[in-house]
Amino acid sequence: MVEVSTPVKWLLRLLAVGYVFFLVAWPVTTIVREAFADGLGTFVDLFSDEQAVNALTLTAQVAVQAVLINLVFGVGISLLLVRYEFPGKRVLSALIDLPMAVSPVVVGLSLLLVYNGRDGWFGKHLEEWGIQIIFSGTGMIMATCFVALPLVIREVVPVLTEIGDDQEQAARSLGANARQTFLRITLPSIKWAVVYGVVLSLARSLGEFGAVKIVSGNVSNQTQTATLLVEKQYQSFDQAGAYATSFVLAFVSVLCIVVVSILRPKEHH
Amino acid sequence: MSIEVTNVTKKYGDFYALDDVSVSLPTGQLTALLGPSGGGKSTLLRIIAGLDTADSGSVAIEGTNATKLPPQKRNVGFVFQHYAVFKHMTVAKNVAFGLEIRKTPKAEVKRRVGELLELVHLSQFADRLPSQLSGGQRQRMALARALAVEPTVLLLDEPFGALDAKVRKELREWLRRLHDEVHVTTVFVTHDQEEAMEVADEIVVINQGRVEQVGSPDQLYDEPASDFVMGFLGEVTRLGPVRLRPHDVDVVVEPGRSGSFPGTVTRMLRVGFEVRLQVELDPEFSRGDEPVSVVLSRGHARALDIELGSKVWLSAAVGAVTVPAMVAV
Repeated sequence: MVEVSTPVKWLLRLLAVGYVFFLVAWPVTTIVREAFADGLGTFVDLFSDEQAVNALTLTAQVAVQAVLINLVFGVGISLLLVRYEFPGKRVLSALIDLPMAVSPVVVGLSLLLVYNGRDGWFGKHLEEWGIQIIFSGTGMIMATCFVALPLVIREVVPVLTEIGDDQEQAARSLGANARQTFLRITLPSIKWAVVYGVVLSLARSLGEFGAVKIVSGNVSNQTQTATLLVEKQYQSFDQAGAYATSFVLAFVSVLCIVVVSILRPKEHH
Repeated sequence: MSIEVTNVTKKYGDFYALDDVSVSLPTGQLTALLGPSGGGKSTLLRIIAGLDTADSGSVAIEGTNATKLPPQKRNVGFVFQHYAVFKHMTVAKNVAFGLEIRKTPKAEVKRRVGELLELVHLSQFADRLPSQLSGGQRQRMALARALAVEPTVLLLDEPFGALDAKVRKELREWLRRLHDEVHVTTVFVTHDQEEAMEVADEIVVINQGRVEQVGSPDQLYDEPASDFVMGFLGEVTRLGPVRLRPHDVDVVVEPGRSGSFPGTVTRMLRVGFEVRLQVELDPEFSRGDEPVSVVLSRGHARALDIELGSKVWLSAAVGAVTVPAMVAV
């Protein structure tokens, strides 16, 4: 490690702490303070408001389904990227990072273009078969999957690369078939990466706003998620409600991350 | 014949890792695949195990055509250079893996694992994780794990390559003793000719994707089929038209036998009971070649009264193993 003098060390620490404080910690604590400004009353109101309860339930449903889908495809695509050689592998890898780079609003619009029932490329035919994607749960889950797609993969890929395929080959030579090898050897080795990826995906999915706003249509009690509700509450001067809903969203996400960092064994960083 | 490899070819792009290799390995023996790095010996072992597939050719194990069989159906035990231990399982669980996959009854698994850990001297480590073992212990555990499934053949890919010199030597002797006890057909890959000579019943020398020679350690040493085999199995020096081992060069201090080469001692090194000489041949004989290396016993050197600058006459000893030297291009 490079040696730095004590004043420089303190200055650097102050800079780092200050940066995180003004950018993250302070604004978030303000939400907490505002949410609890009237004690627990606001939360009682929130949880007795049918619209809010519906929005929170919908958010949970969409997030959980999107996370499950991303879990299966994330682990599958990670294995594909690390263990197999195929033409177009680098293109696939680059495409997976796309959701990180593209604004969720653009994601929403692009899904709308392809799947809307009036002039979408697929949407028209799907609508003929009675499948509605836009302005329904399906579209919202798709949009959420899209934005959270890289999170599981980017956690799992480095771990898969690091452990190599020696253990898997050893298992095969000892008589294990592909399924047994995956369940007994690969999965336990990447367990914590998968858990961390799932938690990040869940946190991201709970907070998704832009893409969902476009594909959902934002209909109260039907396709309005918690983040959309926050916006609506805020715009209709229900600040207390907006803060309380925000707090619930932030609390669940932070809780997930804290629980995982406590559970995670120390040697895995 | 336990393993029958027929006309196997494997290419990586334009590079021939194996070029039309045929070899048969007998039952119950300990065979070494010996050759320089990148010569194709590991590829051959992995093809026998089913971990790689050959582009063409076939592999039969105990009379069964295994060419198209996946690794888990071949009943081979494989030991990897870097151990490939299951990091999240205890030593006992590692060894039990193959048995549990085969749905062996619990009591039977326990008994077998106990026996195997006894065999590899790891009984007291049964409940530890592999990360708490030394390299040598991990490799012994990997060996027990491979033996647990009672494989038809045991394949070891540079099994001692990642260990330090002392442990390497110990494990090598231990493997020989183990094989004498267990008698499972064993094939191991090595680039260390001393390891192969010391441990194996039979050696297959592989170079540049081809089999150079198959034979017992003595056959290979005494009757090398090619310049390459001779050079790979020990030190070689060149004397006039032939190549031979430095200890097979006869030294006299006066012109005697016809056809001997006169020269001058330019370097002299005493190592233990040996004396190593470098002899510069007289210009009309040396034709600009490297000096000739000669190894004598200390007593012999003293009897001849050789020292730096001595004039000597060199010839190939009677019965020396020689191969024609390659013509310099």
